[in-house]
Amino acid sequence: MDDSDAVAVARARAGDQDAFGMLVERHSIRLFQLVYRMTGNEQDAEDVVQETFLRAYKQLDRFESRAGFGTWLHRIAANCSLDLLRKRKRQDQQLDPVELESEESMPTLPSHAPPPDDQVFHLEVQQKVEAVMKQLTPMERAAFVLRHFEGRSIEEIGRALGTGPSATKQSIFRAVQKMRRALEPVLNATP
Amino acid sequence: MNHPNEDQLILYHYGEASGRHEVAEHLEVCESCRANYLTLQRVLAAVETLPVPKRAENYGAEVWRQVRPQLAKPDGPRESDFWRLFTWPRRAVAGALGLLVLGAFLAGRFWPQPPTTPAPVIVQSQPLSAGARERVLLTEIGDHLERSQLALIELINRKTSGAVDITAEQVLARELAAVNRLFRRAAADAGEAGLSTVLEELERVLVEVANGPARLSADEFAALRERIDTDGLLFKVKVLGAQVRSRERDAARELAANRS
Repeated sequence: MDDSDAVAVARARAGDQDAFGMLVERHSIRLFQLVYRMTGNEQDAEDVVQETFLRAYKQLDRFESRAGFGTWLHRIAANCSLDLLRKRKRQDQQLDPVELESEESMPTLPSHAPPPDDQVFHLEVQQKVEAVMKQLTPMERAAFVLRHFEGRSIEEIGRALGTGPSATKQSIFRAVQKMRRALEPVLNATP
Repeated sequence: MNHPNEDQLILYHYGEASGRHEVAEHLEVCESCRANYLTLQRVLAAVETLPVPKRAENYGAEVWRQVRPQLAKPDGPRESDFWRLFTWPRRAVAGALGLLVLGAFLAGRFWPQPPTTPAPVIVQSQPLSAGARERVLLTEIGDHLERSQLALIELINRKTSGAVDITAEQVLARELAAVNRLFRRAAADAGEAGLSTVLEELERVLVEVANGPARLSADEFAALRERIDTDGLLFKVKVLGAQVRSRERDAARELAANRS
């Protein structure tokens, strides 16, 4: 663990809130990036970042210093995000069932569009990626983000999400397969 | 080696494949697998286009300004953040309570009700249409079946070398069994024999895992694994899960059609 993190954690455990504040200031942006990718919503991401720090503060005594503080925070954030995604899924299903129809609701660009220049192509790919991310189940999204963007190992992801290696791998496989099904036609359409 | 399948290529891409060297060698000599892998790489590279909004440099200070006042508060829930209560085990309790309501609804409304049974009285804080309630219920059942299936697959695929400690799996099995019981009773009351039978089989296994010894010898664990999938339980759960998801989609379509 980063020495300065270790010192701040020790001080925070001893009741020094300012030391915890240093940790918050140091890790917030990185945490926001993770959580935004998991939730896909800016406001939700900000809420989850706050919630993560609140949970971390309450659980400081349980933090084992041999692990990185950042890694530990990310684990808490992943779980907070997962809770939120599951809750959102239920709310969306009550309020707007049509939009949740997975593949049917994916935005599609007209097939007769002219050959895209780089910018338009980039935008099209980006829209597809965002659409697929929304289609993923909470578990698929969480596992995929942790593997793809955060570079966490299957074992670490399993520990963070409370799943074993097989379930973790299956979530990642399904996420990549969905991504591939949606993106491959777009990518193949380019010269 | 044989042609690696897509899952193996995904693991290879992420540096998690067990036979990494063999896959690399195969990709050197097999044009079709190489093309397949290049496509996968392109797809995963494209995922990088996912934008993340930028935060100001003082974002950390801003977060601290928001968080700090809440550190001093007692541990009770913040009014606006009710959803944050939903973490295990509170989530299990809240979920179970919710399911009780749903179960009552299920018995009375979703499945045909025997003529002699009085309709259950359900008080809801926010009335939902029958279609919306049906969809919520189906989502709950579908999620439960998916979680149960994953938990059991995880358990039977667990690698062992000697004795096994399944304490963590027992905690999960206990929670799943509690939820399962509610669905099973509701399904039985409603005369949904197929659903009820599979849920009963599932519950038997979950209860066995939950209430058995936490530490098992290799032989005991092998026997447990065998019992878990007796009579193709996992397959039945998978099929039932797919049926429920299908009904959920139908319910959504119906709901959307009614709205329009």
